[in-house]
Amino acid sequence: MHSFISNSRVTAPAARRLTASDRPGVAQPVPVRDIPEQPWPRIMLTALVLLSALTGAWEWYWRDYGAVAAYRDDAALWARQRRRIDSGEGGATVLVGSSRTLFDIQLPVWERLSGRRPIQLALDGTSPASFVVDLADDPAFTGRLLIGIAPDLFFSGFEYQRSVLPYYRKESPSQRIGKVLSMHLIEPWFAFYDPDFALFTVLRRQPWPERAGLGGRSVRQLEVMDADRNTHMWAKVTTDAAYRQLARDIWAEDFGGPPETDAQKAEDQRVLERQIDKTASAVAKLRARGIPVVFVRDPSAGDYLAFENRDFPRAATWGVLLAKAATPGIHFQDYPQLQGYDIPEWSHMTLESAERYTAALYEIIEQKVPPPDGSRW
Amino acid sequence: MVFNTLTFMAFFATVLVLHSLPLPWTFRKVNLLIASYVFYAAWNPPFIFLLWISTIVDWYAAQGLVRAERIASRRAWMLLSVIANLGMLLYFKYGTFLLDNFTALMASMGVHYHAPKSDIVLPVGISFYTFATMSYTLDVYLRRALPARNFLDYALFVTFFPHLVAGPIMRPTELVPQFETPRRANRQQLCFGLGLMTLGLFNKVVLADTFLAGAAERIFDRGKAPGLLDAWTGTLAFSGQIFCDFAGYSTTAIGTALCLGFCMPDNFRFPYAAIGFSDFWRRWHITLSSWLRDYLYIPLGGNRHGPARTQIALMTTMLLGGLWHGANWTFVVWGGLHGTYLIAERRLRTSFRDYRPGRLGLFGMAVLTYFLVNITWVFFRAKDFSTAWTVLRGMSGFNTTAKPILPTVFIVSTGIVVGALVALHWYMRERTLESVVARVPEPVLAVAWGLMAFAIVISQGSGNAFIYFQF
Repeated sequence: MHSFISNSRVTAPAARRLTASDRPGVAQPVPVRDIPEQPWPRIMLTALVLLSALTGAWEWYWRDYGAVAAYRDDAALWARQRRRIDSGEGGATVLVGSSRTLFDIQLPVWERLSGRRPIQLALDGTSPASFVVDLADDPAFTGRLLIGIAPDLFFSGFEYQRSVLPYYRKESPSQRIGKVLSMHLIEPWFAFYDPDFALFTVLRRQPWPERAGLGGRSVRQLEVMDADRNTHMWAKVTTDAAYRQLARDIWAEDFGGPPETDAQKAEDQRVLERQIDKTASAVAKLRARGIPVVFVRDPSAGDYLAFENRDFPRAATWGVLLAKAATPGIHFQDYPQLQGYDIPEWSHMTLESAERYTAALYEIIEQKVPPPDGSRW
Repeated sequence: MVFNTLTFMAFFATVLVLHSLPLPWTFRKVNLLIASYVFYAAWNPPFIFLLWISTIVDWYAAQGLVRAERIASRRAWMLLSVIANLGMLLYFKYGTFLLDNFTALMASMGVHYHAPKSDIVLPVGISFYTFATMSYTLDVYLRRALPARNFLDYALFVTFFPHLVAGPIMRPTELVPQFETPRRANRQQLCFGLGLMTLGLFNKVVLADTFLAGAAERIFDRGKAPGLLDAWTGTLAFSGQIFCDFAGYSTTAIGTALCLGFCMPDNFRFPYAAIGFSDFWRRWHITLSSWLRDYLYIPLGGNRHGPARTQIALMTTMLLGGLWHGANWTFVVWGGLHGTYLIAERRLRTSFRDYRPGRLGLFGMAVLTYFLVNITWVFFRAKDFSTAWTVLRGMSGFNTTAKPILPTVFIVSTGIVVGALVALHWYMRERTLESVVARVPEPVLAVAWGLMAFAIVISQGSGNAFIYFQF
């Protein structure tokens, strides 16, 4: 049989190989590829051993740092939870919001109290307004909706992970299968597999001499996530004082900044009003369908709380939102049982605090916003 | 399905096992065909119908061409193939673009026409497989090749998953004969093929996505005016990214085919060492440039009818080549610039027929070529002309009040990666990867392979699609 692949042991591979660019206007012949004369199976085996050793060392390094294997909070994981509404769980309690809703509401506690595990759709660094609109437009959703409000994200319309919605709508079969494989073969086993420990992220964090006006740091790893996006604070934040301080310092970079011009202030106000109107209109649609909705302002502390009080005063933000949406809201400052929790980096609770907080919050919601059909949240 | 995903790894492992089973050759080819359809459908199942339409139309067109005796009949069969393929391409790829331009044209004449909002999804790889199938009927029409002897071989030529969605754009004469006899890679070929796949994925995941994409995105997508350093860093980063992304895809595709016992042609030959633009186009996306040459430039007259016709043919080919990349005028300008460069080079060659540059002169010309190629990349990468001008102003030093955009790490990583890439291209200018690899000591190869694989693992690529998928 004639082979098109040359693997001659006599002649070395040619220094130049002809291509179609060398043969104008003719039928192109079957290509020929040289296999360089090397013991390839042995080379591959050595490379595999080296890869295993280096990967093992990398994994050991990150575990020693405190990392634990967990599920990766990406668009595919979010889409898996969002699809539950389309596949028969539309009557569930759904949580949207930002990272505080993720960290502070513990799904196992909620499940123990209500008998049903909520669907966690809150997203780090992302205002939930667009997600409320998405649910309002989805007739498959008939359950109950908790909207977590982190003032600096919600009222500024900041949407770090806005792309999860288009991803969910257009996710390909290949992407779905890839996530399933990853959730079985990689994520539960390798602690280093986390965007926070990726090669370029690590390189970026080195002490480079920074250019004028640049140098803002990105938020560090704070969470550990389960397969259904139940999330709790990473133990390192509570046990490592230096790391905790680093997390606070990174938040604090957003607390200062030069005073805003009048034009900027006017633009901020326009954005704030747009966010409130957009959410209020979506909530009106939901309530018209008989879906109970509640806004929740989870606790923050320290300089973070001071920043929020200064830049997003309660009366001008939270108060306006509740009035325009004509919807009940639970603000942690109004309930003694929602105060006094451990918030190590001023924004998110420890796991132990989050468990107690979830139970307290659940009872308040049940009392304040009982579902009309007599079901439980 | 994208090469740099877990899904592909599982898919490929399955295909490899099935292909290695001691089954009849026809059965294994059917396996490959089904696998190729699965590969395509894994992105968006309904679009598999387009693939079937293209396959069936060209199969019957080629049969008709063989049976037809009159020139008019032959032309009709050829036109059927061209119209069917280009029709699909026009609708899916250029439909919205044409409608937008028509609306703008009407508006400029005072006619306010509001086109219905369209939401046409571009089927991945349509530009590649329509060109591949068209080359089949065109080769038969031009009497360069006979039609495939059986439909299975032909359908597999169109659909064979390594080249299906982003090339190399295969010609029927390159691939159909390979399906006629049983093929299975031996251990050497399999291991070297896996090595090529690792090299390709290293280019894509580590160099393009991890080290270069970020700088290009910050300069071209954030709407800020860049200063001199930022503008050049962003553009150079893109020049590296587009090469590593696309050459990475091609290398992975070649390695994938090799693991199955098939041969695919080179698509790149160290293009950033090109001296002049005709040299660049013999090194960059070779299978597209040679396709355009054989089926567009030469039929337009090529260089057979004097300098004026040659220049018109060149410019037309490059403008359409630009448009092939995307439905945007920025791509047309990109093609137009390359057409202008090629015409200018031809004129200079005629004017300085006896000039023989020394080594330094050649190096200078290579640097000039790379510089001018980078100018064209600005139009290729920018989403609109406003962004392109802003970046070009920055590259010319005119954005004097610009504030820094890129953190130091982006500048350093772009400098190192692109510097090393261009140096490597220069070293490899007259060599092939295989000729160099054959002389490298075994331990060095093993360590390099292991390190590349490790870098892929720790980069944690998120399965970003290859840039050329959008074309």
